Amino acid sequence: MAQITITVEDIASSVPDKKIKLLKFAGQLDESNVDDKAKEIYSIIDAVPQGLFLIFDFEKLEYMNSKSIGYLTDWYSKLSEKKGGILIANARPNITDILQVVGITQLVPCVGSVDEAKIAVMK
Amino acid sequence: MDQPQEKPEPVKITITLPTNAYFMSGIRDFTLSMIKNMTNFSEQWAYRFQSVVDELCNNAIEHGSNTKQEIKVSFINYPGDSVEIVVEDSGTGKTKMKAADLQKIVAERSKPGYPFTEIRGRGLAKIVAAWTDELQFEDLANGGLKVKVKKYLKNPALSVPSPSMSGAPDHIVLTI
Repeated sequence: MAQITITVEDIASSVPDKKIKLLKFAGQLDESNVDDKAKEIYSIIDAVPQGLFLIFDFEKLEYMNSKSIGYLTDWYSKLSEKKGGILIANARPNITDILQVVGITQLVPCVGSVDEAKIAVMK
Repeated sequence: MDQPQEKPEPVKITITLPTNAYFMSGIRDFTLSMIKNMTNFSEQWAYRFQSVVDELCNNAIEHGSNTKQEIKVSFINYPGDSVEIVVEDSGTGKTKMKAADLQKIVAERSKPGYPFTEIRGRGLAKIVAAWTDELQFEDLANGGLKVKVKKYLKNPALSVPSPSMSGAPDHIVLTI
């Protein structure tokens, strides 16, 4: 079975109506684990009523399948409805490649580092 | 006078696995290693094949075969020409589909701007169809489905020649 860990950190925000969390992914997101992990992300989204921005640090994410991408678009939609969003940082070339072919990079911004993502959120 | 060079024989590897996504990380590792070590496709394409195989097998596991059944995945390397991947299910899954149904679904979902509203449904149309040159569905006599994809090495940009790829395949590394 593929292993995946997601660690969550709060990031100090200089913008009062924006709450930022950094989620670090390590391992592989696939059919064997994505449904369970998705529940954890939905809990984080549901716990904040407005203005939540999630920065996904994909530096150590080795693989994601189409279902993971389906969840990603759903999380993005839910956060956008509540004036929030998602940014992806540090994705490996194979991850960027699959996000691009599915067309998600037109929806969810992908940046080179977590610092860039923080700056983009706090603009 | 030079003798005409014989075309290298295709190399076929078939793996049968239980209907359980638990085993897919091993199949992905195998795919990556096989494409890198046995073909002239670049590393980028090794990762792409990894996704193609994963998506095809997941569909066969989720829709095509009941638990306690098996699916079969075959890799056929035509040296210097193409790689073919064939995935077969047993037709015992919860959502029975015919080859024609799947062809219709893929054609529909491959249209630009198709509105995906579900978590699932992007694998075949957005990944497998985009990263292969041929995608064929075939009904099997046992009620199952055979999905065959092929990618040609016709574009030189797809390949990165390696000294170890000049002759017969030398090794495959399996990481368990």
